[in-house]
Amino acid sequence: MSGTKQGFWAIARREIVRMQSRPLYGLSMIFAPLFCFLFFTTLMGEGLPQSLPAGVVDEDNTTVSRSILRNLDSYQQTEIIKQYSNFAEAREALQKNEIYGFFYIPKGTQEKASSQQQPKISIYTNGTYLIPSSLLYRDMKTMAVMASAAVGREILYAKGANLDQAMGFLQPIQMDMHPLGNPWLNYNVYLTNTLLPAVLALMILMVTCFSIHTELKDGTAAEWMSIAHDNVFKAVSAKLFPQTMMFSLMALIYLILLYGWLGFPHNNGFWPMFIAAELLILASQGFAVFMAAAIPSLRWSLSLCTLWGVLSIPISGFSFPVMGMPPALQALSYMFPLRYYFLIYVDQALNGVSLVYSAWFYVALILFTILPLIDIHMLRKAAHEYTYLE
Amino acid sequence: MWVKDMLDVSGKELRACLQDVGVMVFFIIVPLLYPLLYAYLYSREVVHEVPVVVVDECRSATSREFLRKSDATADLKIISYCADMEEARNLMHRHKAYGLIHIPAEFEKTLASGHQATINLYCDMSGLLYYKAMLSGCTIVSLDMNRDIQMQRLSGMSDWEKDVMTMPIENEYVTMFNPANGFQAFLIPAILILLLQQTLVLGVAMLAGTEAERRRAGTLILGHEYDNPITVLGGKAMAYLLVYGFTATYVLCFVPWLFGMPQLWQLPTLVAFVIPFLLSSIFFAMCISFFVRDRESCFLLFVFVSVPLIFMSGISWPSSNMPAFWKVLAQIFPSTHGINGFARINTSGALLQDVRIESLSLWVLTGIYFMLSLFIYERMYRSDKMPGAEFVIAMRTRARRNIRVAARAGQELIETTQRIQKVRRYRKEKGKNGN
Repeated sequence: MSGTKQGFWAIARREIVRMQSRPLYGLSMIFAPLFCFLFFTTLMGEGLPQSLPAGVVDEDNTTVSRSILRNLDSYQQTEIIKQYSNFAEAREALQKNEIYGFFYIPKGTQEKASSQQQPKISIYTNGTYLIPSSLLYRDMKTMAVMASAAVGREILYAKGANLDQAMGFLQPIQMDMHPLGNPWLNYNVYLTNTLLPAVLALMILMVTCFSIHTELKDGTAAEWMSIAHDNVFKAVSAKLFPQTMMFSLMALIYLILLYGWLGFPHNNGFWPMFIAAELLILASQGFAVFMAAAIPSLRWSLSLCTLWGVLSIPISGFSFPVMGMPPALQALSYMFPLRYYFLIYVDQALNGVSLVYSAWFYVALILFTILPLIDIHMLRKAAHEYTYLE
Repeated sequence: MWVKDMLDVSGKELRACLQDVGVMVFFIIVPLLYPLLYAYLYSREVVHEVPVVVVDECRSATSREFLRKSDATADLKIISYCADMEEARNLMHRHKAYGLIHIPAEFEKTLASGHQATINLYCDMSGLLYYKAMLSGCTIVSLDMNRDIQMQRLSGMSDWEKDVMTMPIENEYVTMFNPANGFQAFLIPAILILLLQQTLVLGVAMLAGTEAERRRAGTLILGHEYDNPITVLGGKAMAYLLVYGFTATYVLCFVPWLFGMPQLWQLPTLVAFVIPFLLSSIFFAMCISFFVRDRESCFLLFVFVSVPLIFMSGISWPSSNMPAFWKVLAQIFPSTHGINGFARINTSGALLQDVRIESLSLWVLTGIYFMLSLFIYERMYRSDKMPGAEFVIAMRTRARRNIRVAARAGQELIETTQRIQKVRRYRKEKGKNGN
């Protein structure tokens, strides 16, 4: 028994030496994740973009149009940086990316409004930049509706109505929106909660696959197997153990960064997310071992692992929902560990629902972890055959 | 003749590319398939028919009308009418529904008394598109119903009052250059450009990795026989440019056409913009490739960069709201300028003068990376050009091999000694025990 234990630690120690011998491992296991953690959390530090540059074309230039503009500038997310003299100029500024959108008030707006001819004011945004475009639209639309309502409200006030009555008249049905879990519509919460583990999972997939296959490429696989007394389970698990520890440390860093330092919603506390992150690491390692064993070529198995890691980012559905994808891809999304991590995050951190609802997602991650059971014996064969070939 | 030399190098490099399956994967297969996958993924642009649940505590004609109309919008789909909030929440927790419309019991009564009646909307925030769909769907319905209610109330009033109530100023919304206001038209142009840069880097790095592996085994690098390093680097660049002429045409023109995305570019503008983009990417790739030691390590070091790079371009999170440090760092990557320029040329029909800042930046980057690659090339491979370089390399390789053999022998010696000592110790102990 003591002999087998010695084998495990011998391989683990050997792996640490291997990891230290090449700067590649340090760069991909420590630098890459840390860089991304820092990048994304600081990039979207504002949460919701403020003071987005917008323009205005005021051909009317009357008290009504000026009051609309004044009000618009008081919105936190919109900043009128320039007034353009005509439509073509504003459009050009939009194309040059100086502004994300503009308000167009045609000539005769006030005149028409006062003679009940229903003038039309227009909102233009640059749909090429979806996020600022949507946010500007929200502000501008509200402003336009308010401007319109203001005219009616003034007359109702004059008639002796109070605010409550006036609003009851102008807007009988009102919407009260409750964004659950993220009431600030914070993009940092919305994106980084999944982007950080996504980058980590990508690095795990690649490093795991790479480190197994370099044993084959360098011709050290036979030696590796022999230290494990030809027990492929022990060989693989012992080899990956130091990596698991290193990745766990990285996971711990991002969890503390997100839920401790930045105070992002974690309604069920730290542990459900910690377990999810640990399982994501193991699931990614499991998937990579599965690939490495199934495909005997370093280049191809690494390519597939990379593809899986990169593709998991859009297909996990955190930016564009899975339900909006074509059915074939919806089915495919269940083949990605990150998808389950994302679902757990939604349940446990964002919405804070009972663990029962997420149980199957945890189970799915465990299944990914034990996926190599199917084909790990092929790795042993490859390890020996490779040496025979040399 | 430097022209002949350059063409010579170009031909050799092209042959090296074509013979290397791994490189062809990056240069041809990935650009061929990856954009299709991505464009297909976002082909529906937006989410329609977001499943929502309803708790209607009012159960009046008006509340039912509101729900019926909401269900009829393209945005929402009511999947269940729940008896209470508990049941509705349960459905949301099980990911059956992403929104909840709650109509309070006093809704109709409040409305009838002339006050403002409130409808509560609860939205799952796991995706902002759910929020968007719910907000826009319910807003359309409420505006529509508000107008109806106003008309009904005004039936007994004077014309003057009716005029007040009809919206005095109308508004319209035009989302320019992205008719569906969806994900495909917004994200795909960025992904296409990034894909070109990243596959170039990975492919060129893999070629360099192969060369580095061979060089360690004793072969001189490609182009060592030419005096002028400019012909070598220029010749290589020409080879990549030739391959990427085809790749870029497919990726930037064919893929958007296939998926019916907006394509407002004008050919002279597109060509004049893509050439500096490709050149800067090629020399950027060369600079990186000098540091690659083997074929596969570029995977680990450069794939993940794609994720920050797409954000650095400012296509998603607006660049006007980026911390200055990241904004400056973003400038050194061709993709940043490439994405911003191409997105506008392709999607908003910008002309070359509209993207002159981006275009100029790309030319500047081309110059910088060219000089840099020239400098590194000179420094790193000077020894290959000296007389007797073959001999030196051969000696070095032999020395390296000998060192490896010696190291292995040393290791074995140590291990054997340890084993002998162990046996001795064992015997000694056994002897003691025997006594």
